[in-house]
Amino acid sequence: MLNYDVCVIGSGPGGYVAAIRSAQLGLKTCVIEREKLGGVCLNVGCIPSKAMITASHFYHRLGHDAETMGIKVGKVSLDMGTLVEWKQSVCDRMSNGVNQLLKGNSADIIFGDATFESKTVLVVKSKEKTEKIQAKSFVIATGSRPIEIPGFKFDEKTVMSSTGALDLKELPKKLAVIGGGYIGLEIAGYLSKLGTEVTVLEANKDVLFGSADKECVQVVVRKIKKQGVKILTEAKAKSFVKKGSGVEVTVEVGGKEEKIEADKILVTVGRKPNSDEMNLKGIGLELDERGFIKVNPKRQTNLPGIYAIGDIAGQPMLAHKASHEGVLVAEVIAGKNRAYDVKTVPAVIFTDPEIASAGMTEDECKAKGFTDLKIAKFPFAANGRAVSMMETDGFIKMIANAKNNLVLGVHIVGPEASNLISEAALAIEMGATLEDIALTIHPHPTLGEAMMEGAEATLGHAIHIIQKPLRDRTPSALGI
Amino acid sequence: MATLEFKLPDIGEGVTEGEMVQWLVKAGDSVNQDQPLAEVMTDKATVEIPSPTKGTVKELKVKPGDVIKVGATMLVIETGGAGATAVPAKEAPKTTAPAPQAAKTAASTPATKSAPPSNGSNGHNDVYPPVAASHVLASPGTRRLARESGVDINNLKGSGPIGRVTRDDVAKGGGGGLETHSSGTPTKAPGMSIPRAPYQGPQGAVEERVPMRGIRRKIAEKMQLSKHIIPHFSLVDEANVTSLVALREGLKVKAEKSGVKVTYLPFLMKAMIATMREFPKFNASIDDAAEEIVYKKYFNLGFAADTDNGLVVPVIKNADQKSILEISREIVELSGKARANKLAPDDMKGGTISITNIGSIGGAFATPIINHPEVAILGMYKITDRLFLEKDGKVGSVKVMNLSITADHRLIDGAEAARFLKAFIERLENPGVLMLDLV
Repeated sequence: MLNYDVCVIGSGPGGYVAAIRSAQLGLKTCVIEREKLGGVCLNVGCIPSKAMITASHFYHRLGHDAETMGIKVGKVSLDMGTLVEWKQSVCDRMSNGVNQLLKGNSADIIFGDATFESKTVLVVKSKEKTEKIQAKSFVIATGSRPIEIPGFKFDEKTVMSSTGALDLKELPKKLAVIGGGYIGLEIAGYLSKLGTEVTVLEANKDVLFGSADKECVQVVVRKIKKQGVKILTEAKAKSFVKKGSGVEVTVEVGGKEEKIEADKILVTVGRKPNSDEMNLKGIGLELDERGFIKVNPKRQTNLPGIYAIGDIAGQPMLAHKASHEGVLVAEVIAGKNRAYDVKTVPAVIFTDPEIASAGMTEDECKAKGFTDLKIAKFPFAANGRAVSMMETDGFIKMIANAKNNLVLGVHIVGPEASNLISEAALAIEMGATLEDIALTIHPHPTLGEAMMEGAEATLGHAIHIIQKPLRDRTPSALGI
Repeated sequence: MATLEFKLPDIGEGVTEGEMVQWLVKAGDSVNQDQPLAEVMTDKATVEIPSPTKGTVKELKVKPGDVIKVGATMLVIETGGAGATAVPAKEAPKTTAPAPQAAKTAASTPATKSAPPSNGSNGHNDVYPPVAASHVLASPGTRRLARESGVDINNLKGSGPIGRVTRDDVAKGGGGGLETHSSGTPTKAPGMSIPRAPYQGPQGAVEERVPMRGIRRKIAEKMQLSKHIIPHFSLVDEANVTSLVALREGLKVKAEKSGVKVTYLPFLMKAMIATMREFPKFNASIDDAAEEIVYKKYFNLGFAADTDNGLVVPVIKNADQKSILEISREIVELSGKARANKLAPDDMKGGTISITNIGSIGGAFATPIINHPEVAILGMYKITDRLFLEKDGKVGSVKVMNLSITADHRLIDGAEAARFLKAFIERLENPGVLMLDLV
């Protein structure tokens, strides 16, 4: 029997952070991992997909923008083998980093499959041995996995989940993507740039349905279609048959059946919590109707001494939410009064252009009873840096409470949206007003200026766009 | 013209209905956003219901005296736009500590969700202080400060721009004071709002200022919190511990052979556990947020330990499942760690009741402070020899120990404490009885 103060199960962005913080606080800590350190995020999720997206964007620009800038590159070709190797080196480097951080903080790493034998004893089985672990506190951070749909069982060869798609050694000629959520669109986007002919099948009336601002989505849809990706909406994938070396997918679109040929199928219809594992129900852990472990704001479960964080503890299933909870739960265990008390979890979609948001959408504001809103957009086409980068698609949209100019939501579609959104998240957490952003000097020439101008535009008087013909040009009429 | 059906919003923890006291508007009136529309009385307080929007009152759906359920339509307002909508109030007016947000489960879409999570909780929501409601404006650092100070930020009136709660507001426990709503009913919340009074010594006086840090500050916070929340009362009695002294003397030598120093404390702990099984209220906590009493089925006994840095309370976990020898060993170990300043947070967590032993220093009796969220603390004092008139009229000598029980009067009444102390003393006076309680 091994004894620990804290035993973290799962070493993803929630688990490893919880383990490091616990160890920092002087608690005897171990972390259990059944595959690779870093979990889905570092190995088959966020990090490898971003490596592929960066490479494909680079490749695409060489073929499209370089010549305009006077750079003659001749014929550009892709060596998929080298690309995949490089992508893997990125993942390995991150995973090794986690290993070093855990060791450097004296947290023990135990590889194996974990199951609760009782509320207080965890059994970890690996090929070599079986170990029993007793801990004063357990943190469940075992994440989620891709959802399978009937008729499309994952074999990761013909029918792939995101895991299989990220591990493709050869580029498929034709790919059918079932599910136009953010994972599907990110993968569709980069494979299409590398040369795959992609068809996206989305059951809803729009891709990224309900997960991003509608106007932001329009910008992405326009661009991805131009890039050659076909999008079928209100399309239900029914079944598929093998045909030659590929497949033929039967799709129901508007009551009619259509056949789509492809080499491979990617199913990205969402993820579900891994709560059917580890005998969680057996020890009496309460789950909600969607299979998430029920937790309170301290991330305590119904069982004393057992905590849950990350994807398995509820939406949004995002790495940065998990990491925030990882720190929080370790400090709760160390006796600090902490609770999940945030105003917003920013979200980023790495399409081209990127979409990023913090705070509420217009619909969400209205549902919350904010009826009197100020909303405006500032286009990247009016931003010097964006023009000089040749990346002018998109805008920053701000939503504020008209009563006091409190920033309620910021939605960005455009270059580096993912890096710009943090300012908006800080603004919302701090309870900033439009004036607070507009009166902060933003350096020139940067994309960040668009944030400042977005705030100005929402106040009604941006400098670099013409908002309306002004009859009364007095400060009071302008609200200045 | 668009119309809006305005429904009675969720106006507080556990409130499901309210009685319409009076309308503050009538049909045809034009109203502004946040203008009070009506006074509604709940079983907790009378509250003003603000208008969610600017518009014209079209129809009042209830009359004074009517009982309205939360979610029922109160009135119809004509707004400027097109179409018809039905919304609940923008936000619940403040009365009591805001109800914990109902657990909100995830959106159906598996993709990213940018909406602010209500409080990221899909299960029970029992933390104190509660998480900040969506309308509360305060920086993340200020929210943490409030949490660490035991202040419910939802009850503070922000003195900053557009009502932002500042660090000063938290420090003062409310800046402009606890927010009270127009009906004048005081807020109930147990948020700490203790003024931080400055001290200025006489001019020229020789004084030294030392920052209040570490354990000292923690002790100050804990004691203030406990005294603020708990109505304390104490009861004192004495026990004839002649037999206990003899019993312990007899066992001492044997225990020392196995390398353990046995004090009186473990015997008192065993007697306490047996007595608490008889009086479960003493092994409980009050969950103020949920208005529930939590009876604990485990016995974690804290004991006050005096160190150079100040008072700490290490905890013997599951003391009911440990022998006197095991408890003794653990007391020695924890006391050593306490003196060396090496106690881990976990060593001091999870106590269900505490004992303070002042007898080792002196004093006839004290009035200890309960270690919140526990509901009682036992004080044990010096054993003294006393002359005693025996039944046959001869003068004998007995050993007597003073004992005190201090309890949370919200949960435990005086008579009950007296019965508890009596039952406890009976066990101490006849330590053999403890055999009957052995599990």
